[in-house]
Amino acid sequence: MFFLQDQTAFTFSGVLVLGTLGMLFMAVMLVSIVVFHQRKVIRFNKKIQKMEEERQQMLLRASIQFQEEERQRIAADLHDDAGPLLATARLYLNENLIHQEPATQLQSIFSAKQIIDDSIQLIRNISHSLMPPTLKNFGLEAAVKDLFEKINGSGVINASARFHDNRQRLNDEQELLVFRIVQELVTNIIKHSSAGFIHLTQNAQGNIVYFRIHHDGRGILQRDFDKMEHNSAGLGLKNIQSRIRVLKGKIFFEIDNTHTYYKVTIEVPREPIK
Amino acid sequence: MFFLLFKRKSKQKPLRVILFYVLYCIVNEGVSFYLQSLRSQTFITLLNLFTIVEYTFFCYFIYLILPKGSIKKTVPFLWIGFILFAFIDYFFFSITHEFDSIASGIEAIIVLILCMAYLFSQVKGNNSLVVYSTFNFWAVIAFFIYFSGTFFLYLMTDKMRVSVSFQKMYFVINISFNILKNLLLCVAMAMKLNGVVKEQKKVIPDLGDDLFIYQKN
Repeated sequence: MFFLQDQTAFTFSGVLVLGTLGMLFMAVMLVSIVVFHQRKVIRFNKKIQKMEEERQQMLLRASIQFQEEERQRIAADLHDDAGPLLATARLYLNENLIHQEPATQLQSIFSAKQIIDDSIQLIRNISHSLMPPTLKNFGLEAAVKDLFEKINGSGVINASARFHDNRQRLNDEQELLVFRIVQELVTNIIKHSSAGFIHLTQNAQGNIVYFRIHHDGRGILQRDFDKMEHNSAGLGLKNIQSRIRVLKGKIFFEIDNTHTYYKVTIEVPREPIK
Repeated sequence: MFFLLFKRKSKQKPLRVILFYVLYCIVNEGVSFYLQSLRSQTFITLLNLFTIVEYTFFCYFIYLILPKGSIKKTVPFLWIGFILFAFIDYFFFSITHEFDSIASGIEAIIVLILCMAYLFSQVKGNNSLVVYSTFNFWAVIAFFIYFSGTFFLYLMTDKMRVSVSFQKMYFVINISFNILKNLLLCVAMAMKLNGVVKEQKKVIPDLGDDLFIYQKN
């Protein structure tokens, strides 16, 4: 009887030791899995964060570079065009001091006036390129149509724009950003795609405003755009991306099913007018 | 105890709960030892009471540290359910009023599930801080390891208490896991200490307020 009791106790002790060790092992394993998994997740998150920071850095650099280029262009316009014009006007006016004959004086004053008029026109052009007056005074629809008419008028490319639902306009800041994006896209199409036509369509659905540009030249697709975003090249596209981010919108580069036209679609959520 | 005394100033609730839990464990051990030496039957009641109080401390602690969600909401119900069960078991089913193996076993299962729920929430959550650098994690690990290790022991105590070899084993396993639990709680306290030191470094340095007084004049 005592032997049987001892035997049972021995079996129970074995179960106890094995059970305890098993439970301990499972607990340690579970904790290890949690720790390693969490470390892995943190490493992954850090990597993503780093990539995002690098991308932001690249966009910021592109934005600064774009600003610098814009400044250089304005400086060049002023230096190369306005500078010589004003210097010539000064020469004509100087001539008045030397030649006292009224006929010569009148002639030089007239020439100086002509040159000053040209300078005014030039400065106006520079100012318009910085902030289109049509956009400021009449809004995005008028500005885009004006831009497309000018392109059309140049005879290089067939350009047209149609706004379907612009009853509820975007706010001024959004309109300016959209205009810049359209300008950049159109410039790129003219420069690189050898397209025969560009057509812009605007429409709205709910709180989202859509702009779609069609063209029949060589275009890019979404994957090319995404790739360029991570490259140091493609300054204009980076600027488009930065502006889209500010707008909290989306941009899609696609090709139609017949592979005849490329299309760029911009989605902009309406913000309240300030 | 050194860590506990050192950290007594801290206002964080989970830390306080653990502090009182450890203090209760110490007092309970002392009283149990004294009653055992007197061979008093109150010792068993104290042991049963310990299960309930320990479970209460754990539930409150886990309730404080669990992120908002359905599991957190179930903790109070689990607490009430277990307390009711423990009392019913003690007064109606446990006729001999010996060691409460069933209540201890259920307590261990609930604690292990809640610990796993906490660990799972840490894995799931988007936390940039490594989980093992926090006080909560080490405190949960202390409970997790302790209850995993003593689960079979407490479950078999009621049936095997007369066996001499089991009594020896009970002593060894119980003491070992108690020590391990306290060591892990010490590690938890150390984590908290580091956190406080880091927080103190962030305090804005003295800016020399006399400069502003001079300007006012």
